[in-house]
Amino acid sequence: MSDWSTVTRPIPVPTEWTKPFWDAAKRKSLELQRCQACGHFQHPPYATCTKCVSVDLKFEPVRGGGTIYAYTIMYHTGDKRFAPAVPYASIIVELDAAPGALLAGNLLGVPHTEAKVGRRVEVIFETLNDEITLPQFRLAALQPAE
Amino acid sequence: MWENRCKIAVSGVGYSKVSRAADVPLAAHALEAVKGAIEDSGLEMSDIDGLSTYPELPATGHAEVDGISVVSVNCMMAMLKLPSLTWHMQVGNNNIGGAVQTAAAALLAGLCKHVVVWRAMHNPKGTYQNLPGAQAMGPAQFTGPYGFGGPGQHMAVAYTRYLERNNQSRDKMVTLALAQRKHTQHNPHAFFHGTPLSREDYFNSRMVAYPFCLFDCDIPVQGAVAIVMTTAERARDLKPKPAYLASYGQRLHFEVAGRIGSLANYMEGGASSAKLTWERSGFSPKDVDVAQIYDGFSASVIYGLESYGFCKEGEALDYIQDGRIELDGELPLNTFGGSLGTGRIHGLWHIIEGALQASGRAGSRQVKDANVSFVGASAPIVTGTTFIFTREPY
Ligand SMILES: [Zn+2]
Repeated sequence: MSDWSTVTRPIPVPTEWTKPFWDAAKRKSLELQRCQACGHFQHPPYATCTKCVSVDLKFEPVRGGGTIYAYTIMYHTGDKRFAPAVPYASIIVELDAAPGALLAGNLLGVPHTEAKVGRRVEVIFETLNDEITLPQFRLAALQPAE
Repeated sequence: MWENRCKIAVSGVGYSKVSRAADVPLAAHALEAVKGAIEDSGLEMSDIDGLSTYPELPATGHAEVDGISVVSVNCMMAMLKLPSLTWHMQVGNNNIGGAVQTAAAALLAGLCKHVVVWRAMHNPKGTYQNLPGAQAMGPAQFTGPYGFGGPGQHMAVAYTRYLERNNQSRDKMVTLALAQRKHTQHNPHAFFHGTPLSREDYFNSRMVAYPFCLFDCDIPVQGAVAIVMTTAERARDLKPKPAYLASYGQRLHFEVAGRIGSLANYMEGGASSAKLTWERSGFSPKDVDVAQIYDGFSASVIYGLESYGFCKEGEALDYIQDGRIELDGELPLNTFGGSLGTGRIHGLWHIIEGALQASGRAGSRQVKDANVSFVGASAPIVTGTTFIFTREPY
């Protein structure tokens, strides 16, 4: 299993448009940008609704359950900060509550070989510092039959 | 059908030395390639009245210094001091294919007579793709903290989705890597000319970002290539046999910056560009005699083959088997070795090879009776452009 204990991650720098996402993560809640005109959830945040082009967007809480949409296993140690965790799984998650919105994360708590497209995951939170808490993912207890 | 079909031609190609280390400033490489292309065309420097490029340095976390790590249009203007210059343009998206298309449009509009287009690529010291520094800004705030750095990792996630959704195996990609390296041995300008690759080499190589191993990724190099473009009418009076530009297209699909893992981004990008190219030329995939498809990462070729319409979605890894992409196969592919063979110079080299094959100037790698020559000049995502060159002016 990847050892993350000595990895120093780059710290996200929120902008005024992404701040609500990070403020929510700090409260251990997942909030995504939602179009107030058509109800569409999207991530990463954008200036307009990617479905109906409305500019009326607000961040709203979503449940943190979803599936692995795609993943890669990182082996490259070009960035020494991540070298202690290699090989590790970086995953893209599609939340049940926000189809089409794609969140990046690492698959934590299991060997990297457990990353497979379609596996169920749930959000957990990793505190980086006083300001920033990172949404992350672990395998869900209940998996679809393979 | 496009009314300007075959009214523009490529009439000269040039190369610099391609090396791993940046032992001379990139401007020297660009000059060598530009002078080579002009010489190949039989023109004089004083005949050149148009300049175009896409100068971006794809390496992340490195300074862009004109003449050292990029070669802009301004840089080339300052070096050449062209007495006849009437037009220049540098493109910001669509990669180098955009520079070629803009040059074609300028020639058609009568703004200039002979354009040089170059692509110069720098190999910075240290790690090519750096993760964000201590801070992850902009779209990287949602990806950098999880270890996502350069485009290879972004492409790798889409590739796992492709493989697992289509029940495909990455092992089949070895066929592409071996065929292209074999083709590379016919291209003396390529970085890997003289260096063969075996099946064992591919499977024993280190993994970079699964499913990509070392030989799925083009090697960063320092070098440049260039072409001379002119109208078909003028091209007929020049030294080399012209390669006629039958049509071109660009991707019409873009998803939000920072959205990664989406396969649709590649497929719809490629399909939209190819549709324009087929419709404008009147050709279809079955008319194509030889194809060059951008291969900065091997999976780009797979997405290209499918989204451009050469085979069905999910089937490209089977399509490339059984000799089909060899020089004497049904669809000779990346006949100059591709970026996997030449080193990372982006898509202008694919355009050069497309033109050389169409004009019958590809030497020992020439595909017999090649008439319709297809080029996908960059990854279908974000920067996709496609071209068809022909031997006959139709
Ligand atoms: Zn909307």
